[in-house]
Amino acid sequence: MEDYFNYTKNLFDPTKVQEKPEVFKGLRVLDFTHVVYGPTTAKILGQYGAEVIKFELPWVGDLWRFGVLWGSFWRHSSVCFHFVQYGKYFFSLNLKLPKAKEIILKMAEQADVVVENFAAGTTDAWGIGYSQLSKANPGIIYISCATYGQYGPMRFFPGWDLLAQAASGVISLTGYPDTDKYYKLPDYVGDFLPGNVGALAVIMALNQRKKTGKGQYIDLAQTEALMRIIPNFTYHSITGEDLGRSGNTDPTMAPSGIFKTCDGKFVAIAAVTDEQYKAICEAMGHPELVNKYKDTFERLKPENAKELYDATAKWVGTSSAGNLVELAKKHGFSFAVVEDDYDITNDEWRRERGSVIVFTDDMYGKLNIPGPSAMLSKTPGRIKWLSRPLGYHNRYILKKILGYSEEEIKQLEKERVVGYWDDRPGIKPPVYYDIEKDPIFNYKGE
Amino acid sequence: MSKKEKEQILVRYGSSRKEREDFLKAMISPEGKPEVLDDVVVLDVSYANMSGDIASSIFAEFGAEVIKIEPPEGDPSRKVTPYGVNRNGVGIPFIMEARNKRYFTLDLSKESARDDFKKLAAKAHIVIETFKPGQMDSWGIGYRQLSQINPGLVYIAISPYGQYGKKAQEFINVPDSDITSQAASGLPANIGDMEHMGEPYNWPLKAGVWLGWYITGIEAALGGAVARYYMQATGEGQMVDVATADAFASLVGYPVTMGFTWDRARPRIGRHDFAIYPYGFWPCKDGMVAIAAGRDHDFRGLLKILKIWKEEDDWRYVFDRIPDIVEQVEKLYKMIADETMKYTSDELVKMAVDYSIKSAKSKWRGGGVPIVMKVQKPVTTMQNPHWAKRKSFTEFEDSQLGKFIMPANFIKMSDSPPRVKWVRCGIGQDNAYILDKYLK
Repeated sequence: MEDYFNYTKNLFDPTKVQEKPEVFKGLRVLDFTHVVYGPTTAKILGQYGAEVIKFELPWVGDLWRFGVLWGSFWRHSSVCFHFVQYGKYFFSLNLKLPKAKEIILKMAEQADVVVENFAAGTTDAWGIGYSQLSKANPGIIYISCATYGQYGPMRFFPGWDLLAQAASGVISLTGYPDTDKYYKLPDYVGDFLPGNVGALAVIMALNQRKKTGKGQYIDLAQTEALMRIIPNFTYHSITGEDLGRSGNTDPTMAPSGIFKTCDGKFVAIAAVTDEQYKAICEAMGHPELVNKYKDTFERLKPENAKELYDATAKWVGTSSAGNLVELAKKHGFSFAVVEDDYDITNDEWRRERGSVIVFTDDMYGKLNIPGPSAMLSKTPGRIKWLSRPLGYHNRYILKKILGYSEEEIKQLEKERVVGYWDDRPGIKPPVYYDIEKDPIFNYKGE
Repeated sequence: MSKKEKEQILVRYGSSRKEREDFLKAMISPEGKPEVLDDVVVLDVSYANMSGDIASSIFAEFGAEVIKIEPPEGDPSRKVTPYGVNRNGVGIPFIMEARNKRYFTLDLSKESARDDFKKLAAKAHIVIETFKPGQMDSWGIGYRQLSQINPGLVYIAISPYGQYGKKAQEFINVPDSDITSQAASGLPANIGDMEHMGEPYNWPLKAGVWLGWYITGIEAALGGAVARYYMQATGEGQMVDVATADAFASLVGYPVTMGFTWDRARPRIGRHDFAIYPYGFWPCKDGMVAIAAGRDHDFRGLLKILKIWKEEDDWRYVFDRIPDIVEQVEKLYKMIADETMKYTSDELVKMAVDYSIKSAKSKWRGGGVPIVMKVQKPVTTMQNPHWAKRKSFTEFEDSQLGKFIMPANFIKMSDSPPRVKWVRCGIGQDNAYILDKYLK
């Protein structure tokens, strides 16, 4: 029989990704979202082949086009915008004008999914809510991504990732016990995680539509998605106590923690099972501990866990990271070196796997982009292009999808129904790029 | 101003307001609605790795028949629980993910059990496993073999470094845990205090949530759902490979892309945010408040409500406030903290809401929406009437587990919502049912 790793290497071969079929080919997604949470939902669908059309206000654009870390743009664009928005069609339309609404209703007739993340009820007020679009197209799947959801007394409260973290209680969990040293979760994970849950809900609705032919409405509250992932509520209802914070150890495993090695590196170690506990005790040269705490629950009691944590910290403090890796491989316990941004993006293994993609874009050149979180052997997710300047695909969409002529488009431009960028970085093309020669921006039609 | 007027200012309704409210209200309860995956059978053989249980829970919530397969002594995940707290030998995370599942005992290390597993797999639609890469294959029940007997099978494998590539092979003996998944995927490196705060606060810090395992579980379910959709269209199954060492980096993307464009690691910056300021939390009389007022007009609004407008000149633009100069950002932090300390959280929230309503009402717009929200602990979140109205928490009861509360009903869908029908998890409690239904 062929070696397993040879078999899987051929099965998942990252160099063949572009040749494989796309699951959602032919599905059209209308993306009325901004910043991170909603756009992520639409992005995932695009990753698997859906045609995602992102709507933005002319001369204004998505707020996240300016969401740059420490104020630095990259080639006149926001890198953070690139990996939230890749592979989409950028259509810039002024929703306030009746002509724009006509265009949207026309597009909704042929669309499969609508994603929006305005304040509750806003799209209904604009005449492009589920109640209106589902009349034009009963098969439409419509997801509203809001911080507190569409129903309930707090529905009108504005929100971001931070507020979802604060309202769910998640914000208070990362940090040191008995101090006020605690931190929010970084990198807007409170947007990205619910965004992925949104994509999951849409895919389930697509599955249902295959059976019934009917679309549906999805109300996803970002805060509820965060509440789903913490055990603190159940813990409280069983013990009557607050689970609180635990610093750098995981209270569900003992020993566990992030420790500093003698060569100044940080490593994470944990014993999930009794076998792994035994392996750690042997690796650190304290086999007598194995029999001291045979019972898992006994081991997890705070005072015992503390003893094991201290023993592990002492051991790690006198070992090098390289030495510990070898011990983990030999004895078999959970182990990883703490990797930072630089390590991750330069990691050979991730590039080989396809979880870091060194992407070369026609407009922006080379940029490292995260690959899909799950690798599918037959229909892998992929990236086709990075984000584009505001209104870049206007002509392409109006001509190819809606069948407008050049004269009609000129008229729309004159009436400012569709529009483009001004001179701000984030919404304009990079200076070195000759947009006049771009075949998509100046799409001529067949 | 009446409540109704306030609402009208915040959102300009269409004509169908009443209709919309009724429609939304009807969506809160999933009862009596169809289930998407009611024709799907999932075999969950995840072992000592909760991310598999999380993925299968999600399938179960959408209506799949999930059969959790364990050896007779049970999955060690049952004992992974904070401070050893358990009910009848079952830990809290395991109870949390014991949603709508069936429990069947099979010791896959035995040949005869594997035959039974093969029979089950022939009738199943999704398999989830977390053994070391190649383990199932060497037992003759991996994707390679099962896809022969069931070409439509979606096979989800979860492991630290995936099923292919050099590192997967090299680290084959290193098992998975949440904390190592976090560490390897760039999460702790980006949490913690600034360098000058001293040890251990400037160390990389683990997230206080099982983010590694929950991201992995959700992504495994997402990948599985995509594969299932493809199977419905073509009849073809496939293998889904999720690496827990990818979890955070692949989900948010920042570590990958910032590491490339900056060509160095980002420093840890404590409570601050790289892109937006103020975007964090500040002390007040009775705890903490989260404040998000990043856009320039939001920030102006914040200065007005805190009555420190005189400082506006120094901090006018976003780029004056970003935390690239430590001394400067600490000055700004303190300036806001000095004011927030004078009020209670309720007062601050009210000040912000009143201001926002006024600025939304103004025909000039541009007044900004500074957002202030009380920082909750999970315990206080549970008391919020908003979640009661949305039925976000449900109480369950089981003869072995007793009574407890869980966050359920987390996606509201008008036609086929997910739901939790029961929570119970006795080892082998459905053996007779499974034998009768699938193995006779």
